[in-house]
Amino acid sequence: MPPYEVDGSEARSRRGLVLSSAWVLASILLMVLPVPVQQGISAALRGTLLAPFLWTQESLNRTRIRAVEIEALQARFDSTVALLAAQSTLGAENAHLRALLELRERAGPAFVSASAIRPGTRGSESMFLLDVGSEDGVAVNDPVVAAEGLVGLIREVGPRNSLALDWTHPDFAVSTMTLDAETFGIVEARGGTFREEDRLILSGIPFYTTLEPGEVLVTSGQGAVYPRGIRVGTILSLAETEAGWRRGYWVTPAVRVGSVTHVLVITGEEGRPVSELTHLWAEPEPEPEPEPEVEPELEPELEPGSGGTP
Amino acid sequence: MRGGPLFWLVVILLPGIHFLLRVGFGAGPLAPDFLTLALLLAARELSTTRAAGVGFGLGLLEDAFSILAFGANAFTLTVLAVAGSRTKDLFVGESVSFFLGYLFIGSWLRYAIHWVVAGQEVRRGAGRVLLVEAPLGSLYVAVVGVLLLLATGAVVREAR
Repeated sequence: MPPYEVDGSEARSRRGLVLSSAWVLASILLMVLPVPVQQGISAALRGTLLAPFLWTQESLNRTRIRAVEIEALQARFDSTVALLAAQSTLGAENAHLRALLELRERAGPAFVSASAIRPGTRGSESMFLLDVGSEDGVAVNDPVVAAEGLVGLIREVGPRNSLALDWTHPDFAVSTMTLDAETFGIVEARGGTFREEDRLILSGIPFYTTLEPGEVLVTSGQGAVYPRGIRVGTILSLAETEAGWRRGYWVTPAVRVGSVTHVLVITGEEGRPVSELTHLWAEPEPEPEPEPEVEPELEPELEPGSGGTP
Repeated sequence: MRGGPLFWLVVILLPGIHFLLRVGFGAGPLAPDFLTLALLLAARELSTTRAAGVGFGLGLLEDAFSILAFGANAFTLTVLAVAGSRTKDLFVGESVSFFLGYLFIGSWLRYAIHWVVAGQEVRRGAGRVLLVEAPLGSLYVAVVGVLLLLATGAVVREAR
């Protein structure tokens, strides 16, 4: 009998080893699956088993926004009303001028508001979930913005939710320009040792172009992903120079992605790229100081019949 | 370890608590890694095959939020489950100090394996992750795990 027990134990052990190896192999297979398949599995799990947890955070976010930011929202609302009141005649005036010039109506940007949910699990860095999807008009590569500026872009879209990447993603890159549209460059993410140290770097600036700290960068509209004029950040300091022919600058991001709970997705209209958005984020230019009044030089009156000479 | 009904109830609830705290309440790393804790505790009681299956399933759930390194959590937790299950053949321990060490090392390994298999995009500096984040996170898991084991009666404090 003892030999049989030993054989049985060995067989069980061998079978256990094979089966556990199969699980390990299956997990390796997951890593090498095509991205669409991986996305399908993720979306299915998020839509079923993990849906209650996402719903919980969504509800908490909404409650938090309603409870905490009510005063800030009231202030924004008041400012908007004041602005609208001051510009109430502009719409009619604009329409009248367009009619005179026989121009069609300007296509304004279409926004979809959404709650941003951060999973907080390992490997979910640089991403957040939104409670809007294709049913709301959201599509892959739609830009995501907050009141302060650019947050990221949509990566995956489901019917009623979507997955977005923020600017801390290593693949993030956006073509930017200064507000005066004089200087263009690429802004990319540069990861820090800790996530709090993640920041942006502006590269591709010609060596003889100097940017001052505090200068605002907005999207340039090149690349057909981000529309022109979304605020990206401000110049912080010089980061690097390359052999006397190129400069790089550290950029303070306009949006601290960790604290974002409410965002807007720019969806465009009927498949067209959205129009100019510079006015939404550009800081108002300071009013020019009034020039000292100068007495206009009076031309000497010509006497009739003087022949045009003084 | 005495894996009674209360112990199993807690182990089954831990993954739910993990996602509720980290995803639902947005606590992030402020909440201990209950997923790893549940897996390490269950692995001591399950066969290697079942433990690997549980690790695969839990890792897959965590990977549902990972687009940068999909599958890394599943692989990590599967390997960790196999290793955890094998420890019961190598180390027979019932004491608080044993479980403190077991959970600490297991959790640290979870950080280390994930750091290795996660892509370059996700990977942070080895020194910071393995020498700062991992020890702190692992200590958190170990202390919480032992407190849970004592509370459920799965481990009894040794008499002095």
